[in-house]
Amino acid sequence: MNALTASAAIASGRVKLANVRQRSLVEAKVRVLVVAFLFLFAGFAAFARILQLGFFEEAPERRSLAEALLPPRGEITDRNGVPLARAFPAYALWYNPKAFGEKGQPLVKSPEEVATALMQIFPDADQADLLRRLKSDKPSYLIRRVMPEEANRIFALGEPALEFPRENQRYYPQGSLGAHVLGYVDGEGKGHVGMEQVLEKQLLDPAQRGRPVSLSIDMRAQGALEDELGRGMMETEAKGAAGIILDVDTGEVVALASLPSFNPNRSDMAYNDLVFNKVTNQVYELGSTFKPLSVAAAIDAGVVTDLSVRYPANRPLEIGGFRIRDSHPFGASLNVPEALIHSSNIVTAQVADKLGGPALKKTMAALGMNERPYIELPARGFPLWPRGHEKSGEWARITTMTVSYGHGIAVTPLHLAAAYAAMVNGGVWRPATLFKVDPAKAPEGRRVFKASTSARMRQLLRMIVVDGTGKSANAPGFRVGGKTGSAEKPGGKGGYNRTSLVATFAAAFPMDKPRYVVIAMLDEPKGTAATSFQRTAAWNAGPIVGRVIPRVGPFLGVVPDDTRDIDISDLSPLVGNGNGE
Amino acid sequence: MIASANRLRSVGWLVLLGLCLALVLVLAFRVNALRSQIHQTESRIVALKQEKLYLETEFETRSNQQQLKVWNDVEFGYAAPGAGQYLEGERQLAALSVPTLADAPAPIRVASVDDSVIASAAFPAMVSPLSGKPLDAKAEKIEAKAEPRTAKVVHDEAVETLNERLGKVVDSRPRKPVLNETASDKDKPAAKKANKPAKVEKAVAAADKSKTKGSKAAPAPRAAKGKEAKAAK
Repeated sequence: MNALTASAAIASGRVKLANVRQRSLVEAKVRVLVVAFLFLFAGFAAFARILQLGFFEEAPERRSLAEALLPPRGEITDRNGVPLARAFPAYALWYNPKAFGEKGQPLVKSPEEVATALMQIFPDADQADLLRRLKSDKPSYLIRRVMPEEANRIFALGEPALEFPRENQRYYPQGSLGAHVLGYVDGEGKGHVGMEQVLEKQLLDPAQRGRPVSLSIDMRAQGALEDELGRGMMETEAKGAAGIILDVDTGEVVALASLPSFNPNRSDMAYNDLVFNKVTNQVYELGSTFKPLSVAAAIDAGVVTDLSVRYPANRPLEIGGFRIRDSHPFGASLNVPEALIHSSNIVTAQVADKLGGPALKKTMAALGMNERPYIELPARGFPLWPRGHEKSGEWARITTMTVSYGHGIAVTPLHLAAAYAAMVNGGVWRPATLFKVDPAKAPEGRRVFKASTSARMRQLLRMIVVDGTGKSANAPGFRVGGKTGSAEKPGGKGGYNRTSLVATFAAAFPMDKPRYVVIAMLDEPKGTAATSFQRTAAWNAGPIVGRVIPRVGPFLGVVPDDTRDIDISDLSPLVGNGNGE
Repeated sequence: MIASANRLRSVGWLVLLGLCLALVLVLAFRVNALRSQIHQTESRIVALKQEKLYLETEFETRSNQQQLKVWNDVEFGYAAPGAGQYLEGERQLAALSVPTLADAPAPIRVASVDDSVIASAAFPAMVSPLSGKPLDAKAEKIEAKAEPRTAKVVHDEAVETLNERLGKVVDSRPRKPVLNETASDKDKPAAKKANKPAKVEKAVAAADKSKTKGSKAAPAPRAAKGKEAKAAK
């Protein structure tokens, strides 16, 4: 009985237990199933992802050697392959206030101490600006370009908030040299001013940017020209200076300088007046340097056949109330070589008058004086070409006369250089270019003067340097020929300002077989002790040319030679020595 | 027995398959390892080249024209060479050793002329006695080697070597035929003519070879004929 009751009790308990067990078993199975399903799903998802990666995703970018070495912007070199502008991974100084996380001081030392320490490394930085940036909680550039050794010194300060991101920047190893030719690249990577702007597309094109673009510039000649122009500018306290060296046969610009210059490495500071190119963009009345061109036009036209014919020079020419006078009287009469040697306005005006306006105008137009200069640079000034008669367009008599000695017409120094090249190279005018030209494939150009005229002009230009106003440019052994020009600047009373001059020297060398034209120009030079208190070109621009030519000649393949010279013996008897302008 | 042999064979195949797979895997690993090695080397080359660029740029910067000028002003004081430091040619070299007499006239100075014109005028191109056409430089060189007595001095080369010896700065630009139309006209036919004799020579040489070949080849048909004859017999 007892056993029965007990078993019944147990049985009821067992049933309950069995139920519990069964339920928990089912629960466990369900859980296992769920877990297994989850595992399966995860496995499937992983597999699917692998399949997706394998079949549909693009492979990770593996840059090839050539791609990795392709510069982001093409290199620019000079004619000998010296790099002038290259993409360069430089350091910048970046301030990151969140270097220590969101909270807490970003700097270990106080901002004042850090700013003072940075000032010791970068003396030309603005301390107040640095302090403002260090105190602000926004990240910003402190300095855009940092040299490696400077970076090391900053690193030694022990400030984790000062970071040096390596950035691709445009770098000009030669600094401000040739700045107007090269131009600069702004913060957004866009080229401005010079060849950087002209070649923008080519420099960024992936197919072309691997090859450097070589210009016609020779860096050594550029350095010498800028150096001597800078020296001349300092000595004469001039406002500015411009110079150019041009290959007479190909039109290649070997050096082009406009001073004062700017530093293209500091593109943030390049937005100023200094980017204005005085050689290609600024027009000047270049004065007496035009006289040889007028004489060449007269010889070419057959108006001047006998160089011994004398013209009266003892009193000012009066044409329609306008007086043409010389700097000082040169005697009762002068012949053409003497007029060039002494730089006589009166005689040149008479020769031009004999030649006539249409012929002179035609020659000047053929020399490109009535259009913007031919060069790749974007900044090209339009000349002030004299307005002619309202109907016929012909120049008035007085205009012809003033143009003949370089007044009433304003052109850029580049115009003058191209015209001189045409005058000495045998008479063919060619456009100037900043790209390297194969001498065998020089542009055909257009004939302006006969070869015989050119030969005669070489003699006359050489005589000006041997006997006349250009003596200061006579570099020994280089057979220099050229002409001074000291033009008064427009302004002030009576149309011209007597005290402010533009002093120019236009030269070519070697005169027996001309290879290069050199132009040096000073804007408003003053009479100083260095120039014997004279302001005219013979005292300031001439010596610059005389110093530049010996420095650049040997680089450019012209060696000094005392045994060679152009033969001027047939003209020498025509001139008596004397001093002119 | 047969069943076990079959099984053994299939196991063998499986083992072989496994072995091959393992080998392929090993090969694949090795290929990939090599590839990543190449990649590493390439990236190292890139890094080194960039480093080189960096150093080169730094060097260019430190030695830029303005810096060199400052150094020259302060330290060295070099000046541009004068006319006395250059020698034009044999004549000037010889003149160096001759003392100038007290009553000697001033030396005659002449304008420079294109060297090529002088050279072509002084030494006209050598004409072949057979064809009447000028020989080119190559033919002349060959002749010079063969018969040194009849060798001609090539003026341009002689001038150049002398200039090299004297350390003269030589105009490196190729001569410009632009304005000098007559010179360029002269050059063209000369160049054309110069090419022809070489061809003629080649043709002659080829003809000679064919002759020798022909002479060697000539007996062969006879021999063949002899064989044929023997075979017929």
